[in-house]
Amino acid sequence: MAHKVIFQPSGSRGDIESGKTILEASRELGVGIESICGGKGTCGKCRVVVQEGFFEKFGIHSKMENLSPLTEAEKGKLKTGEIREGYRLACQTSIKGDVLLFVPEESRSGGQIVRKAAGEVKVDIEPAVAKYYVELEKATLEDPTADFERLKAGLEKSHGLKDLAIDFMTLRTLPDVLREGDWKVTVSVWMDREIIRVEPGVKDTLAGLAIDVGTTTVVGYLTDLRTGEVLAIDSMMNPQVMYGEDVMARITYAMSHDDGLRKMNEAIIKGLNKIIENTAKKAGLTAGDILEIVLVGNTAMHHIFLGINPEPVGLSPFPPSISGSIDVKARDLGLRAAPGANVHVLPIEAGFVGADNMGVVLAVEPYKSDETLLIIDIGTNGEIVLGNRERLLSTSCATGPAFEGAQIKYGMRAAPGAIERIRIDPKTKEVRFKVIGREEWSDELEESPGAKGICGSGIIEAIAEMFKAGVIRKNGTFNPELETKRLRKDENGQYEFVIAWKDETSIGKDITVTLSDVRAMQLAKGALYTGCKILMKRMGIEEVDRVILAGAFGSYIDREASMVIGMFPDCDLDKVVAIGNAAGDGARIALLNKDIRREANEVAKRIKYIELTVDPDFQTEFMRAMHFPHMKDRFPHVEHILEGIPVEAAQKR
Amino acid sequence: MSEEEILEGLKKSVIDFDEDAVKEYAQRAIDEGVDPQKAIFDGLAAGMEVVGDLFQKGEYFVPEVLMCADALYAGLDILKPHVKVDEKTRVKGQVVIGTVEGDVHDIGKNIVKLMFDIAGFTVHDLGKDVPLDRFVEEQLKTDSDIVALSAMMTTTMTGMKKVIEKIREKNPKVKIMIGGAPVTEETAKAYGADATAKDATNALSEAIKMVSSLREMQK
Repeated sequence: MAHKVIFQPSGSRGDIESGKTILEASRELGVGIESICGGKGTCGKCRVVVQEGFFEKFGIHSKMENLSPLTEAEKGKLKTGEIREGYRLACQTSIKGDVLLFVPEESRSGGQIVRKAAGEVKVDIEPAVAKYYVELEKATLEDPTADFERLKAGLEKSHGLKDLAIDFMTLRTLPDVLREGDWKVTVSVWMDREIIRVEPGVKDTLAGLAIDVGTTTVVGYLTDLRTGEVLAIDSMMNPQVMYGEDVMARITYAMSHDDGLRKMNEAIIKGLNKIIENTAKKAGLTAGDILEIVLVGNTAMHHIFLGINPEPVGLSPFPPSISGSIDVKARDLGLRAAPGANVHVLPIEAGFVGADNMGVVLAVEPYKSDETLLIIDIGTNGEIVLGNRERLLSTSCATGPAFEGAQIKYGMRAAPGAIERIRIDPKTKEVRFKVIGREEWSDELEESPGAKGICGSGIIEAIAEMFKAGVIRKNGTFNPELETKRLRKDENGQYEFVIAWKDETSIGKDITVTLSDVRAMQLAKGALYTGCKILMKRMGIEEVDRVILAGAFGSYIDREASMVIGMFPDCDLDKVVAIGNAAGDGARIALLNKDIRREANEVAKRIKYIELTVDPDFQTEFMRAMHFPHMKDRFPHVEHILEGIPVEAAQKR
Repeated sequence: MSEEEILEGLKKSVIDFDEDAVKEYAQRAIDEGVDPQKAIFDGLAAGMEVVGDLFQKGEYFVPEVLMCADALYAGLDILKPHVKVDEKTRVKGQVVIGTVEGDVHDIGKNIVKLMFDIAGFTVHDLGKDVPLDRFVEEQLKTDSDIVALSAMMTTTMTGMKKVIEKIREKNPKVKIMIGGAPVTEETAKAYGADATAKDATNALSEAIKMVSSLREMQK
């Protein structure tokens, strides 16, 4: 039996099978509802409000009785007042009758700011595809040589190309194209061995697409393969987000649903086709002009994109199904670029250190460096590479989604309205902040800054500022002796600190940082620091020459703030550099130079993967790294800041 | 130093995660003839109960609890050899514990294990990344009363369901506890487990509470 379900404010509606959850219904109807925990009822982000009554416009009688009863998870996540107002968690509530549901602004997904601009890349331009113009003699009775053999002979004669093959789909169009161009054609040859496109006349456009499939964001860089210039960028939220916010949730979705892998694969292919279309259009080209694609992504994204079961990647010892690079026809994957176009997928280093990290390595080139580099790619997982031309180590640490604003009470993605910068006066403990989408700080505005939540880089600043001002102590607890009304206890008796008062927000309530938020950050930053520390120990070094923060997130966090809370080991702040979306840059490098692809395979084999959890010191290191900035290790480069922290707060337990 | 002072000293030193002080008091307990069993329960374990409260209140977090556990083990190492054999064998129950196959996270599991240890259970710790059948075998072999399963990832959590089914098949009476970051009350219900820890980030506080109540039963 099916019931009518309507979502507001979008007005999306449809018939939904009885027993499906509201979250499932929202997916079927294309309504974006935040679900960070993947529908387990633990994140409490998928709040919807049930609108009771008869709605004539839709002809339905919407009532609470038409939904399954409140679950324990909902009772834990919703306040009594909210329950009275009709709030439910979409993932916990199944549909038994007609309902009209309102999705509050804080529960809506989408509208994210994509911070993945293209960085400068330095590379010799040697693309995998080259174009050759050739003029052939028409077929005659005296010389009735077949079209393909005629083309081959022509290419050998004028360009020295030998033993060429032809892509089958390209062959199908060959006779028409040759005649249309009056035997004057431009031929695209892949790796000097396969003809992948033949166009009539002189066509010198040579474009390729570099794609970075992130767990949250997917970006495509349409690139001129002659000049290296980025012609167009397009990005979107990874359409798989609806099946689970993080890598593990996606793998679990594939494990627990028979068609889970297929659905997620179709979602990403569909999304990529949109990117292909959009970038081509922006650059004044057609999808068929894209002759080569290079793709990077973490190991799970890599597998799902290729339609390979990611289940083993989710279980220790996390073996990927293939580690070397892959070349496959775009059309075999369902990608609508040029019919003969090739997709090159960069190699996976090990387990969770995927092709995206390989992209980072190609962009940073630690394997050519005399200095010892500590490269940290911060996302839902933290991937770390340490080393130099002599030796390279890598690891992956489970930082959890806290850095991306998830698991944080008022956490949100980097979207307009998100608090991204925070300053706390050490004396008065007064707060000023800046939201994304506004130039001015909160105290410079006449009107309300309209904050909606705090994004990942904002959380780091909040924690660092709270620590510096003595609001929280080394061990993460709040200093209860503070005399400010910003410090208070929430409805659960847990301490929280008000960042934005109700009249400064657009969500009708104060935005706070709670003790649980601080704890989540302690776990996240502790995991990251532990990863760095154990790699350094294995390498036998006490300090590194340079810290490189890769990932869009790394570009937006304050370097000083992140060192003050001890996200990574001490280093001269001038030697801490953020390089933006290096994974995407690496994809562009491999797109522009085919020889680097071979280099990538060799380097991937040389990087030794270290499993943190089996290191005998893991537990001790992790424990010590959870304090701000650390229980034992010193931070000479921010010592002056640490010394300035109000003593009464810092030293008390 | 009176027995009371020694017990109080053990308790306080565990709470303050002062390993050296714990060792001193434990040695003093031996030297001054305090019943080692009593020193363990009314000194060390009593301290750990307070730690549990502090954890629940948010005063302590994982690092502090781990340091308290280290202090407690330091005391246990000194006291345990002096516990009379007949008391040692007076087991109150047996537990099989481990992190399930595919999962190598064991910090939470180790602390839960510690709680069982100090509550006087005989604990069969299978470690981490334990093949699912090993739990079934070990339970049958030792005839344990409780099987405690841990998983830190959603991907490995699903393995718990299989273990629970298998154990129930062989021995329907055994009590099964599950825990770990992704486990919720609902999961426990859905998987047919008897209990779980409520706290989703780590299963510490519930385990400590549970052991406290077991201690009550023992009195």
